[in-house]
Amino acid sequence: MEELVTSSQKAHYGQFKALVATEVEPFVEQWDREQKHPDSIIALLAKSGYLGSTLPLKYGGKAWDFITFGLLNEALGRGSSALTDLITVQGMVSMTLLKWGTDEQREIWLPQLARGETIGAFALTEPGAGSAIESLETKFRRIDGSNNLVLNGQKKWISYGQVAGLFLVFGNLEQKPLACLISQGTPGLEIEPIKEMLGFRAAGLAQINFHDVEVASNNLVGKPGYALSHVAPIGLQYGRISTACSATGLLRGCFEESISYASTRKIASQTLGNIGVIQSMIARMGTDLEAARLLCYAACRAEDEHLPESFAKTLMAKYHSSRAAVRAAADAVQIRGASGCHESSRVARYYRDAKLMEILEGTTQVHEHLIGKMFLDQVKTTSR
Amino acid sequence: MAETEQKIKEAISRFILDSINLRDLKEDDHLFETGIVNSLFAVQLMTFIEKTFAIEIGSDDLDIENFKSIKATSEFVLKKNGRIAA
Repeated sequence: MEELVTSSQKAHYGQFKALVATEVEPFVEQWDREQKHPDSIIALLAKSGYLGSTLPLKYGGKAWDFITFGLLNEALGRGSSALTDLITVQGMVSMTLLKWGTDEQREIWLPQLARGETIGAFALTEPGAGSAIESLETKFRRIDGSNNLVLNGQKKWISYGQVAGLFLVFGNLEQKPLACLISQGTPGLEIEPIKEMLGFRAAGLAQINFHDVEVASNNLVGKPGYALSHVAPIGLQYGRISTACSATGLLRGCFEESISYASTRKIASQTLGNIGVIQSMIARMGTDLEAARLLCYAACRAEDEHLPESFAKTLMAKYHSSRAAVRAAADAVQIRGASGCHESSRVARYYRDAKLMEILEGTTQVHEHLIGKMFLDQVKTTSR
Repeated sequence: MAETEQKIKEAISRFILDSINLRDLKEDDHLFETGIVNSLFAVQLMTFIEKTFAIEIGSDDLDIENFKSIKATSEFVLKKNGRIAA
């Protein structure tokens, strides 16, 4: 991807990688063990403008293009999937508000989100509704004599729910999907931290419970009936781009760790890299990495050009890069042997984090369903 | 105006037929009730309309009357001063 980008985008990428090398990689295993990030690293991301990277300047954002955003996620993904997930969810909330929020919502929340003064959480998934988002059981009901609503229900596996100050919540109002904003501290809002995840352990996952939470009418986002067809897809599209690029960064980490180890580790009189089966793993990893970079580039470019095919290209980028990351992480552990199975090993964390990439923002199976149907429709169109 | 409206209708119809497994589409066919436009395709269609006709669709525009058919959508595009973007 590097050869396709402009000199400005390349310069940004160099800055991102430098920050990851000095401020993320030396500490990431500790954050993983402690299952949280220190405030200082979140403050540094905010100060660097990474939490509002694609927001317009007038809201305090950096107004970077999506290729630069993709490079940011790739560079951070090499260092920490859990930390990159903060960039993901912050963008999912802020870009959804940018598209569908009222002027008042944008002016209140977007500067806070861009500056990192408020962390956003995208509260869509429920205990009984993950991939099948149309099965939401969280419900709004009307209050007699008022324009306000009352919200009851549960959300689960919500990234950064433990520290979020603003929740973008999806539910149903009289069978019509509806989204709203709820801020931390609202009466009836309860946060339950989720610990001991397989991967993304520092991403502050939480279950969010709503007990008769009153929602003011000026906190509704979009109109009833459009939350799943128009509102959520803006956030999910952003999340998939971010996750695809983050997975590509993890894949690069596996590749770089593996070629470095294989070229120095001696087995009898030869290095690991002289063994054919190791070369096969490296070949697959390196080729998968190149393909992931190109798919991510195509998705980011389509998004920059606001093309309708950006949806399909993003699905393919996320599908390929997350699956390739899982394969690469498994091979990276295999190449390392026993030392790759210890928690002190970077590839052990890659192995755990990679699996979540196949589940976040739509599982691999959901992606296969969507991409497969898309290709089949195109074939039938061609033969019409 | 009639010529512009016809071009808008043709562009929308072509995009839908190229994207969805359909052989024919009439300008009054209900895009949502018939399932032609589902929740997965809605944002792609919206993006196409924004890009092709150089308009921006906002929260106030989220009304089924604006998007229920090719005819309704083309009228909406004209109301928003849409044009065929270069």
